[in-house]
Amino acid sequence: MKVAEKGCAICQATWGDYWEEIQGQRMFFCCDICAIEFKNMINEVKKKTGWKKIDEIKMTGNYRGRECTALYDGKRYSFNIRFDSKGGIDAFSERV
Amino acid sequence: MGFQKHDDWDDLAGHFVAEAGRSDAGHVMWLNRNITKNKSDRKTLSKLLAGFFDLGSRGLESWVKRRFIEKFYGQSPHPFVVALQHPSRATLLGYVVEHQHFLRQWVRSCSFIMARTDEMEVVLYELDNINTEYGGVGTGQPSHYELLLRMGESLGLDRQKAFRMAPLEDTREAIRVWDMICQNDHWVEGLAAMHGLELIANRKLRSEGASIGYFDPMILKNEEISKEVKAFLREGYEADVGHSEQALGLVEKYSKVFGNVDDVQATFLRSIDYFDRYLMARLERSRQF
Repeated sequence: MKVAEKGCAICQATWGDYWEEIQGQRMFFCCDICAIEFKNMINEVKKKTGWKKIDEIKMTGNYRGRECTALYDGKRYSFNIRFDSKGGIDAFSERV
Repeated sequence: MGFQKHDDWDDLAGHFVAEAGRSDAGHVMWLNRNITKNKSDRKTLSKLLAGFFDLGSRGLESWVKRRFIEKFYGQSPHPFVVALQHPSRATLLGYVVEHQHFLRQWVRSCSFIMARTDEMEVVLYELDNINTEYGGVGTGQPSHYELLLRMGESLGLDRQKAFRMAPLEDTREAIRVWDMICQNDHWVEGLAAMHGLELIANRKLRSEGASIGYFDPMILKNEEISKEVKAFLREGYEADVGHSEQALGLVEKYSKVFGNVDDVQATFLRSIDYFDRYLMARLERSRQF
């Protein structure tokens, strides 16, 4: 899966040294909370779209809320997401 | 977060570098949101931290306001504040349920500050604050707490039902932290930690750089909003300018007397981090209505 080129897959920070394997890919996160957020986000997108995997996630924004686009097999799914203090999904809405 | 050695930025930077190295979420998130997302060496981070905590020529009160505005009223205002601009019934009821717990802790925190200070002007300030927020003055001037419960009732939430609703986890954690600060830390730190939070409804922050106010004041003229909701919002709108600014004046004065400015800064930052989470709990609760 293609994510941000630099740093943590959620926030692009280069602090920390936390790694998790997601979709068979070893990914860097600044902390365990960002890893939880990422996994929750991937699972939610798969649930909403019915996709088995995701090829790429593009993200802008910050911890107050992120605008994202997921790509898979030439298809796009755009959404807004915000996380709670433990990495759970606090708000999720599809963007048309 | 706290200072192990006063005014020793290299020591503080070393602490952060070590904690970030083991990916401690609290430290990493704090660095990301306040200092830099770019991993830095101890020497570079030391300079960045010194800059962040530098009071400049305008003093502690101005520094506190600047940090508060950045966090809650900057380019990305807090989601609860955004929701409160033109609040739904659910947003207001989320406010009622979580804030009753906040205010019950509030009076405890103010009481701890009073119990631990010898300064009469601080005692008098807290007495006045407790009366406004919790006690009220006779039947003509209900407390903020009473106005909150009346707002809930006007929206269909019986106060007995509200009393039976336990706080959400983020509210509970924040309350525990404020209780510990006011019981265990210096009373000047408690003063900054608690009354710095009243900046949230300080309408003067707009002229000091806040991107929006706590709510759009036009809603006080909206006929679709109940008089009880208006009474609650108006009370904070009118009281919290004085509450926050008077307290920050006392914090500025007594932090110099006791030589604990950097501890006050650290405790204030800790308090607003938990306040951020507490405000999110109001939104979480609102989804139940």
